[in-house]
Amino acid sequence: MNVTENTLVLGIETSCDETAAALVMGGYDVISSAVSSQVDLHAQFGGVVPEIASRAHLDLLNPMIARAVVEAGVSEERIDAVACTVGPGLIGALLVGVSAAKALALTWDVPFVGVNHMEAHLYAAFLEDPTLEFPLVVLLVSGGHTMLIEMRNHGEYRLLGQTIDDAAGEAFDKVARFLGLGYPGGPAVDREAMHGDPEAIRFPRAMLNEGLNFSFSGLKTSVINHVRKHPDVSAADVAASFQAAVVDVLVTKARRAAEQIGARGLVLGGGVAANSLLRERFLTVCTDAGIHGFLPSRELCTDNAAMIAAAGWHRLRSDGPTALDAGAYPNLRLPLLP
Amino acid sequence: MDAHRAYLRFFMLILGIETATQQVSVAIGGHEGVLAVFELSRGRRHAETLTPAIEFVCRQADIEICEFGAIAVDIGPGLFTGMRVGLAAGKAIAHALRVPMIGISSLDLLAFPLRYADRTVAAVIDARKGEVFYALYRPVPGGVQRVTDARCTSVDELVGDLMARGQTVVCVGDGALRYRDEISAVLRCDFAEQFLSHPSAAPLVQLAHAKALREDWVNPWEIQPMYLRAPDAEINWSTRATGGASQ
Ligand SMILES: [Zn+2]
Repeated sequence: MNVTENTLVLGIETSCDETAAALVMGGYDVISSAVSSQVDLHAQFGGVVPEIASRAHLDLLNPMIARAVVEAGVSEERIDAVACTVGPGLIGALLVGVSAAKALALTWDVPFVGVNHMEAHLYAAFLEDPTLEFPLVVLLVSGGHTMLIEMRNHGEYRLLGQTIDDAAGEAFDKVARFLGLGYPGGPAVDREAMHGDPEAIRFPRAMLNEGLNFSFSGLKTSVINHVRKHPDVSAADVAASFQAAVVDVLVTKARRAAEQIGARGLVLGGGVAANSLLRERFLTVCTDAGIHGFLPSRELCTDNAAMIAAAGWHRLRSDGPTALDAGAYPNLRLPLLP
Repeated sequence: MDAHRAYLRFFMLILGIETATQQVSVAIGGHEGVLAVFELSRGRRHAETLTPAIEFVCRQADIEICEFGAIAVDIGPGLFTGMRVGLAAGKAIAHALRVPMIGISSLDLLAFPLRYADRTVAAVIDARKGEVFYALYRPVPGGVQRVTDARCTSVDELVGDLMARGQTVVCVGDGALRYRDEISAVLRCDFAEQFLSHPSAAPLVQLAHAKALREDWVNPWEIQPMYLRAPDAEINWSTRATGGASQ
């Protein structure tokens, strides 16, 4: 298949708690993007319940595909390929998208492309800034991952650093739960922190001065210990101080990584990239260091199908279609350079 | 016009998809009956097997996917993840072809091949965790009639129910085979052959064709799986790709 600027890819995403479909032309041009968040379904449990997520994906996927096609104003016959997240993620949730995507590809007689969700997050930035130049450093922070990745070219990645315990987003969820701020933790801490003093409590910045790896489980523990020792402490101050500590570590290491490899750009991605303090500090650090920083919109940082379609377009161009006997791979890793 | 519609319904080709137990089954049916069947009862790789199986069955039967006038699926009860593979694929094909869907219960599919049994049929599917999905059927001319609601219960409750009815029973399904000893310890009954113990897409397209003649079908966004069990509210922290914080 000849993959060109006119190749229209339908992207499908069902790896966690967002059901999404999007149409992207030529790997960069978002024609439409429909996302349905299930956050309300999971809020009462304080986390994503896999079986509830899978049931909701089955109900929501067809309407999201229909919405993406209608909003694009194109005929379904115009779709040249179907791309879908095959991992990492929740197995039952992934299987809904993969089964539907393969069936659509078979029915329309177009190629199917299995997409790595982490790789797709790396491509989110290109949808809004196609001028980004390699090598790039991407700071990917979500509920499941905290990684610094060097992107040397399309499909060529090197892992510079990652968390050795909790992901940043996981720390946000756990602290929010402990403080009774609700779920999801990221936005809850963000909101609470607005009324607090980020310097009220000096929480530890683990491994700040060494290397490019992260550790957040100690921070979570010291938040809990502090609150137990000072039951009257203001939740807003704790939230603000905790958030400041996380963001401090993230931006310091991102800057260090960019300087170490002589990156031409620094990009933020993943759900935690929607955090307001992180967004603000990230841009300041880039300006200070004289690095071209790029901050994708919140819609593209959180899970969406436009990034799946974009990554799918690149994979289709480099590797061709994925066989229809593909399954879902819950622990799929980012393909790294040796 | 109506005569023409009836004519089209009669000659309608139906694709049947069955993934509610560990078996994957795909069939093509029409007014001549079952035209092709693919069946695989080991491996439990539903998602990997299903799409190539549909492609294979269509190619061998020399039928293009766009020729189907309706998509029939097993709506459960059964193993949730497997069931959804078939439902998601069926919904996607029906959506793409803009054709209606026909949903049939896995228990109905198990009982149907025993319509000549001349006694009560207990269709029993293994629901794991020591439980079964089951329903009882009575043979009637041309098929079987369900006489109880489909339920999810312990094996003891199933046995109690069968004993209370005091009828001779034939049990069918992977649940019946798994708990054969428990059931036959207290009850005299027969068990259907192993090859009948998974619902098959062959009776699915047969039953669906009869429904299609009556336009007894739904739109792809209306079809609902029969879970019969509330979701486990267990939170999986470790395998989340993105989490709450990613909102
Ligand atoms: Zn994600």
